Amino acid sequence: MALDALTDVSDEALLIAFGNGDAGAARALTLRLTPRVLGFASRMLGGDRAEAEDVAQEAMLRLWKVAGEWRQGEAKVTTWLYRVVSNLCTDRLRKARGVGIDQIPEPEDDAASAETGLQDKARAAALQGALDELPERQRQAVILRHIEGMANPDIAVVMDIGVEAVESLTARGKRALAAKLAGRRVELGYEDG
Amino acid sequence: MKMAEKRPLDDTELDGLFAAARSTGPEPSGDLLARIMGDADAKTAAVTRVSRPEAGRDVVRARPGLLATLLGLIGGWPAAAGLMTATVAGLAIGLATPDTLDDLTGGVLTSVTGYELEDFMPSYGDLLEEG
Repeated sequence: MALDALTDVSDEALLIAFGNGDAGAARALTLRLTPRVLGFASRMLGGDRAEAEDVAQEAMLRLWKVAGEWRQGEAKVTTWLYRVVSNLCTDRLRKARGVGIDQIPEPEDDAASAETGLQDKARAAALQGALDELPERQRQAVILRHIEGMANPDIAVVMDIGVEAVESLTARGKRALAAKLAGRRVELGYEDG
Repeated sequence: MKMAEKRPLDDTELDGLFAAARSTGPEPSGDLLARIMGDADAKTAAVTRVSRPEAGRDVVRARPGLLATLLGLIGGWPAAAGLMTATVAGLAIGLATPDTLDDLTGGVLTSVTGYELEDFMPSYGDLLEEG
């Protein structure tokens, strides 16, 4: 089946199709979900590309393994996947605890030649630096809410906490980020206040 | 000298940073995509290998349904076909009452002479009179 013919098919339908042996469904899911999984893992792991790739591959492997037993309507595929990524990242962060922030490699500088691209990169890098300084749960909640664009009830499922706790974590996380980046307005392209 | 007071970023400014993070997210390399698809292919192949013998076992273990049980009791489909033929034939004979059948039964089945209830039931009227 052509991949472009699958763009309207839900993640769940594709996963069930893969569970029934449809290799085309796996390709479509890979192309659709890997960028999200990799982005989330990378942000959780301080921009460490190699670690994030390992986490992304492991999370997708676990998705393939559950495909055959996936029960329709029980969970959102993306929520399930973010939860797996979240747990894998937490494990790696625990193992790496004690490694200084300086030892974590800088995010790779791929393209971005245009001026706006450079500014976006500068902003993203500054944000990542500030995110890395947040407590892990706050960082996770802020990334899921404000970068991955998830709804609070879904974040609550991913983090295994209540919706109110999610709201509290994101609010505190945002306040902390706003304070940490206050002195870098000019660098970020904002008017100095 | 008085230090300049640092005003925290407002929501709009923070949203600008989040948007920048979204637009500069890491793109998966071709190698990573190939590894993930390879894992999927391996999983599909494993499922295919495992599912065949399992399907065979399922057939052996499967509990027979009601129809299969009833068929088993009378001797399977050939017996059911014979039973059905006999039923249909009986019905046809009953409706058509051919002449040959009339001859065989000595006219009993088609006789105009009717039977009353007393013909089939013993009468106890005499006993009542005496008692």
